[in-house]
Amino acid sequence: MAQVVSALALAAVLAVGGTLFARRARLLLALVRMGKPTGIDRRDDVGRRVRAEAVVVLGQRKLLQRLIPGLMHAFIFWGFIVLAPTIVMAMIGIVDRETTLPWLGEQGWFALLVDLFSVLVLVGVVTAVWIRKVVRPRRFEGSHMGEADLILALIAGIIVTLLTWHATRIALGLEEYAAAWSPVADTLSGLFGTGTVTEVVERGAVWAHVLIIVGFLTYLPRSKHLHIVTAAINVFFGRTRARGRLEPLRFDADVPEEEMRFGIGPVTDLTWKQSVDAMSCTECGRCQDACPAWVTGKTLSPKLVVMGVRDHLFAHGPLALAAQDSGEPYDGPAVAPTSVPEEMVWDCVTCGACIEACPVSIEHVDHIVDLRRHLVMVESRFPAEAEPMLRDVERQSNPWGQPQAERAAWAADLDVRVLAPGEPAPEVLYWVGCAASFDERARQSARSTARLLQAAGVDFAILGPREGCTGDPARRMGNEYVFQARAAENVETLNGAGVRKIVASCPHCFNTLAHEYPDFGGDYEVVHHSEMLAELVRDGRLEPRAGEEPITYHDSCYLARHNDVRDDPRELAAAVGRPIEMERSGKNTFCCGAGGAHMWMEERGTAINAERVREATATGASTLAVACPFCTVMLDDGVRAEGGDMRVADVATLLIEAVEGGDEAAPGQ
Amino acid sequence: MVLVFVEGVDGAVDDVTAQALTFARRYAANEPLEAVVVGAGGREAAPALGAEGVATVHVAEHEALDAYAPLAWARCVAEVIERRSPGAVIGAGSDRGSEVLAHLAALGDLPLAANCVSAQAGDPATVTRLRWGGSLLEEARVHGAVKLLTVAPHTVAIEDATGVEATVETFTPVLSDADLVVRVCERIAAGGVGMSLAEAPVVVSGGRGVGSAEGFGPLEELADLLGGVVGCSRAVTSAGWRPHTDQVGQTGTKVAPDLYIACGISGATQHMAGCKASKRILAINKDPEAPMLASADYAVIGDVGEIIRAIVAELRRTRGA
Repeated sequence: MAQVVSALALAAVLAVGGTLFARRARLLLALVRMGKPTGIDRRDDVGRRVRAEAVVVLGQRKLLQRLIPGLMHAFIFWGFIVLAPTIVMAMIGIVDRETTLPWLGEQGWFALLVDLFSVLVLVGVVTAVWIRKVVRPRRFEGSHMGEADLILALIAGIIVTLLTWHATRIALGLEEYAAAWSPVADTLSGLFGTGTVTEVVERGAVWAHVLIIVGFLTYLPRSKHLHIVTAAINVFFGRTRARGRLEPLRFDADVPEEEMRFGIGPVTDLTWKQSVDAMSCTECGRCQDACPAWVTGKTLSPKLVVMGVRDHLFAHGPLALAAQDSGEPYDGPAVAPTSVPEEMVWDCVTCGACIEACPVSIEHVDHIVDLRRHLVMVESRFPAEAEPMLRDVERQSNPWGQPQAERAAWAADLDVRVLAPGEPAPEVLYWVGCAASFDERARQSARSTARLLQAAGVDFAILGPREGCTGDPARRMGNEYVFQARAAENVETLNGAGVRKIVASCPHCFNTLAHEYPDFGGDYEVVHHSEMLAELVRDGRLEPRAGEEPITYHDSCYLARHNDVRDDPRELAAAVGRPIEMERSGKNTFCCGAGGAHMWMEERGTAINAERVREATATGASTLAVACPFCTVMLDDGVRAEGGDMRVADVATLLIEAVEGGDEAAPGQ
Repeated sequence: MVLVFVEGVDGAVDDVTAQALTFARRYAANEPLEAVVVGAGGREAAPALGAEGVATVHVAEHEALDAYAPLAWARCVAEVIERRSPGAVIGAGSDRGSEVLAHLAALGDLPLAANCVSAQAGDPATVTRLRWGGSLLEEARVHGAVKLLTVAPHTVAIEDATGVEATVETFTPVLSDADLVVRVCERIAAGGVGMSLAEAPVVVSGGRGVGSAEGFGPLEELADLLGGVVGCSRAVTSAGWRPHTDQVGQTGTKVAPDLYIACGISGATQHMAGCKASKRILAINKDPEAPMLASADYAVIGDVGEIIRAIVAELRRTRGA
């Protein structure tokens, strides 16, 4: 009889909890389904996606980048996986305390694991409370702290009731395995006798355990803790490679109207991935900590952007769904500025440090660029100082409005072949880029690269006046129209010339040519000059003289983070000097401040480049090596502003000096 | 019927208004053209507007309407719309024209296409308009019983019209105090100082090499002597030595003076983009390798303060001051 009552009571609890959960889950699913299609295929490359699940989700790799908070989370996460079967065991125990899960419930080793992980989860919870209440890192600024406290309390409650239940069962002699398998519960069982009190506590503990879990389950989809469900999904659909590639917009007439979007305006413009992104954020603030804009006191925090998108989705999504159901047109407010301040949208340098730091594969830059796209293309509202750049990219095909005819002026005395229309393509096309073509400081890099390619006997040519801006700054600024016009023109030129392999000086051009032009019919093998030069050194075609100069290499975001080019430029620095690493390097590099079209916008507050130069200076290196013309200009400006005497030079320039120096040192060769 | 909003006629019709009227005649084709003028002097405008082919001039007269008040002016136009039901209201894309038509659109929930360069009447009407500060032409369709269009200044060639005798119809609009919250209260003529950076014949510009905010003293003095103004580079603005309004460059003001004196400016591309249109560039820099020197017509290598002071002294001596 008691068993029937317990079973009925449990069924009622599960029915209520299940209904509440399902109702919320249905809404969340409908919100995701309302999302527009993504601009890139997120279902291909299944092998890499599965591997990401193993490494990022199961292996907790991104979380473990920070040891203490990482272990804290891993204990709780792994604990929950190990403890999952105990939920079923507890439910069985509610109905009939003499029964347990077949086989697994009788295994001593499993009891040991449960015991062990119960303690680890508690350690995790205590650590989390300590981090939040005592350490109070800045990354939590703007996060919902109360919600986290409640969740931690619930987790602690689940574990405490579980241990109590096990302890009472041991005291009552109900467990199928030797008590020694669960030392913690066994020790606790010493608190209990074998009388009625223990029987009552046993019932109370198991009921409390199940009730907290069901309560947790219904609270879960209404809180930031939803990531338990969404994170694994989000990681699966994240970018598997070429992380610097933006999702293209389609303007052609073949696009069905309901799929057409011009970035993110109202909630209905979000892609389904952006909705899942928003639902996956746990407000941990790792992105905020890594963000160069936030670190230098700007308004932008990638975390607050994603939280804003989520708030907007939950506030306006249901209204949009209602309109959809009734067939009415939906005309809701735009995400920016309603839920994300416009200033935040413009602060971003698209460096991707946030994406790299995010443990649940949120792709913040997609949100920010899409918000920009709407502001620029629909609202025509953006920082006024960037307008000349956009106009010049569109009309003059370079962001400074320099005459196209002077594009090859840097090479006037170098005997570099300018590929004329109709001429056969060289083995490698050298794509110089606007900065290295026109900017006096950046030209150094182009001249050095050209001379090195000549010295190594590489068959190469440049396009000269037929080379146009790739459109990258316009695209990062949000003007997809201008970008696509540039892309179409350049692809036509490159395909018309029969180009197969390209070496690019500028990491931004490199990223665009290699990963974004394929969307517009341009498929080439593209390498960065640092990769090609490193290969020439390895092959012995360039022989630099080793030096002792202390060099610190600054990773460009679009090389190191977005495109995984980290080793080759370091090889070059090591070939000519004595490399010293900065604290933030490689994948964790810190932007120079020029990305995301910020080369053409004014910066407020502490300058990002100054911050980076201070870090470089602290290494004691006399030379700051770079591999990007924008980094060159920004960091050189930073050195001047800081009043230091550190030399900023492209790795190609350092290499040509070492190669020519080497020749002089060994005249016999 | 097509209604033209005219800001005011001082004797003859000014160019921007004449362009809007030409645009309106083309748009109206065979339909009659009427105009609305607000405030005193409206009656006197009738003959000039008749010569432009305007059949009826509606003049709003009200004691509060002598000074410009955008919302009140829009109410006047709205009253005429209500009475005459025009198919379109066209105004010049001047500051006032844009402002009044924007208010009008908000008042009556009417569609407004700003900065049109051409238009074809119909339902919907088809317009071509300037976007992006003139770098993009947009084709758009305008739906609605009353369409509001502003004409981008200096994009329409003025054409002669068949003149008619314009009838004047005066009316007193109903205005509330709220309509007059924003209005012109006082006019103060611009003084002799405050020449704009973009128009100055001489720009004496300083960069990081000037050393400090105080270092700009001699540059100010030189600019005064030469009848020019002081500019600066981005580094100077970033350091907080001068306001952003003084900044020359890609993200500041683009200048085209007869003489540009670049003092202690290295000449980053971002700066050159703002001063390359100068007729002559004189660079003063202690670094003979500075990129600025490659673009300069004249260069002096040395300490900026010392050289500027020498130039100032010499100017004063030769001018006998």
